[in-house]
Amino acid sequence: MSDQALADIKVVEFTQGMAGPWIGRMLAYCGAEVIRIESHRVPGVVRLYIPPGDAKRRIQPEMSPWFTDWDAGKLFVALNLKQPAGVELGLRLVGRCDIVVENHRFGAMEKLGLGWESMRSARPDLIAISSSGFGEDGLHPDYVSWGPNIEAMSGMAWLGGFPEQGGAMTQYAYPDSLSALHGLFAVLCALDHRARTGEGQRISLAQLETTMAMIGPELMDQMAHDRAPRKMGNRSHHRAPQGCYPCEGEDHYCVLSVADNDQWRALCGLIGKESWVENSRFRSREGREREAAAIDEAIEQWTRRHSPQSAAEQLQAAGVPAGAVQNTEDQYLRDPHLTERGYFETIPHLKKGEVTAPGIPLGLTGTPGRTTRAGASMGEDNISVFRDLLELSDSEYARYVELGAIEVGNGNEPGTG
Amino acid sequence: MVAGGRSALSGRRVLEIADESGAYCGKLLADMGADVIKVECPGGDPSRQIPPFLDDRPGEDRSLHFLYMNTSKRGITLDVEHPQGRALLRTLALSADVVLETLPVGRLASLGIGYASLSEEKPETVVTSITGFGQSGPHADWKASDLVAGAVGGPMHVTGEADDPPVSLAGEQHFLMASTCAASSTLIALLAASRSGRGQHVDISLQETTLAVSHISGVGKWLDDGIIPRRVGTGLTASVPSGAYTCQDGRVYLMVNRPAHWKALAEWIHEETGNEEVLDPLFEGPSSKRIEYRELLDLFISDLTALHTVEEIFHEGQRRHIAFTPLRSTREAVRDPHVLSRNYFVELEHPAAGPLRYPGAPFRPEATPWSLSRPAPRAGEHNDEILGDELGLAPETLQSLSQAGVI
Repeated sequence: MSDQALADIKVVEFTQGMAGPWIGRMLAYCGAEVIRIESHRVPGVVRLYIPPGDAKRRIQPEMSPWFTDWDAGKLFVALNLKQPAGVELGLRLVGRCDIVVENHRFGAMEKLGLGWESMRSARPDLIAISSSGFGEDGLHPDYVSWGPNIEAMSGMAWLGGFPEQGGAMTQYAYPDSLSALHGLFAVLCALDHRARTGEGQRISLAQLETTMAMIGPELMDQMAHDRAPRKMGNRSHHRAPQGCYPCEGEDHYCVLSVADNDQWRALCGLIGKESWVENSRFRSREGREREAAAIDEAIEQWTRRHSPQSAAEQLQAAGVPAGAVQNTEDQYLRDPHLTERGYFETIPHLKKGEVTAPGIPLGLTGTPGRTTRAGASMGEDNISVFRDLLELSDSEYARYVELGAIEVGNGNEPGTG
Repeated sequence: MVAGGRSALSGRRVLEIADESGAYCGKLLADMGADVIKVECPGGDPSRQIPPFLDDRPGEDRSLHFLYMNTSKRGITLDVEHPQGRALLRTLALSADVVLETLPVGRLASLGIGYASLSEEKPETVVTSITGFGQSGPHADWKASDLVAGAVGGPMHVTGEADDPPVSLAGEQHFLMASTCAASSTLIALLAASRSGRGQHVDISLQETTLAVSHISGVGKWLDDGIIPRRVGTGLTASVPSGAYTCQDGRVYLMVNRPAHWKALAEWIHEETGNEEVLDPLFEGPSSKRIEYRELLDLFISDLTALHTVEEIFHEGQRRHIAFTPLRSTREAVRDPHVLSRNYFVELEHPAAGPLRYPGAPFRPEATPWSLSRPAPRAGEHNDEILGDELGLAPETLQSLSQAGVI
């Protein structure tokens, strides 16, 4: 038996961007065979990549680090789904798979002839997830959105950041990754149900609704009291002091959170404010919230004398939850803990030899995953998928190529989308 | 548990010994039909004291945080320091498919229900642990909070305005992401166990889940191109244009990635403002071709948005297939006409807190619907049902346990 948790699962992806592809990435990491369908006619945005260092400004579709992060470990076929023969092959692939992941615009799959009913005819116990910004009914399911649009619309962006500001946005299209994680969970629930009952099903995910579920208590506060929830910035509802403090050096910070009186005592000792331990002004969390300005000043006087890493180590040694505000380089070069845990993954890359990518954080110690390869071209696996999995004969394969249903080529001349 | 319906995870039992960093994992499983039993200390879990409170009055059943994060679960109270409490805990753990826990590393083993010990008696056991830094490595015993995860995991460094200190997102997002990963890993472990007969220990690290979720600004870009992303306000470095733009009565968010979307936007700007320069073919193509013109293009776009209200830009932009959306306050978000037209919010009656509106399904499975099968449990609400009816303890035993403060 394979040591891969999902070794017997096959997945086909009609996806773009991140919200769909990251589901397949994680399933592939756990051993599923994941086939992503692309077309030279409409290359995904991640394929339209120009390396910043490339003097000739050429699009290099295999080279994007995001392509590694979201798509490594999959098989890639190029199909023209505007051709009936392309759709026919697409449906035959669906017939061989357990799961379909799709995140194209509302109605796009149906229009191609790849709607739910057609797919279910090809595979009666199919599990299919459609992920879109706004879902499949309501006032405007057809509106276009990317992750940040959803973040802005959900109320989450408005509520984030410092209280005096108009909100804060992530730099990482947060709704995309959280939709992918919820989509993965939904698909796994459906697999568990299918394993017991034999029944497949369709799942629809509206990224706006997934994102609103992430600020549940805040939206309940808004609805129950018809008032804006408190904007917290770096503060906490239930820990004080808590904040982000400047350290030695430019743009260097650390954070700390005090959850109880033991931690408060430890902090006072470290920053030379032992006298505050017995002071009634600071004894309760509420008191420490009231005295935030004085406390922040004392903490800052101490943190400014230390590097973020050193401050965090001293605070943790004293028993106070703390950490350095780390950038990418800090995480890769200066975090002995991540190194020791082998967090970053080195993956064979078809064009670059090998690349390093963020680890897939599923923590499956008994069935550890792995990423087989990165950097595949469009249509890289046409032959193995269509010949080996679908068992097309030489002449059938050639006929589909001739019809333009199976696209062949190097993928370096994408059209415009 | 769902009246008249079927649920995906019915028959799966989860014992949850989790604080606010893992409660959402239990909620995800419970809302999909798993029997999640939340173990609290006698008197109730400390997370019942997390604001905001209903009508701003603290109380065991008034924390909106607790009410939201613990829907569809059953609850018992148990003193795990007491030998009898510990014995009951082990019996419960062995009756479950999964133990979900957020205790400091090693604590579960000291309670007699670590993975090694449970799997000896029941090989298919799955133990899912969520901790700040994971079960191994030099920082395994470090303490975390949501803010600490946002710092060490990377999001804070890239969130906020360029001239401001790093800032966190609203709503303890790093706990929620770790919980979501943990829920998926738990199911993967269960699926693998039903094939192989062997469970496993799922080791979720808040630092690692946070890092993975924010990886768009990640290690590959740095190794390839020496790019270390930092704070840049509301736009995404790689997408030009992107960001928040000011209208007559608020702000909209715009993101352009596809060449066709840029052309549509440029034509609209030209139509309304007479700008000829915006049509220059220099700006056409994928986002990476426009990166050096970011500030100029932002000015062109602001000239357009300044002419309209948020709703005008939103709907007319969408009519032109351009990804403009409003930047909504929470007040506006809960009144969003599209969200309301889909009946997203769910009203649920809690015996103490009364009827409240909750955010609804984060995804909609057709055959096995997501549902809030019950409100968050009151402290010890299911002691009799679970320990008496299901574990078979006699009423007098329950009474003596209660008198001894065990339950």
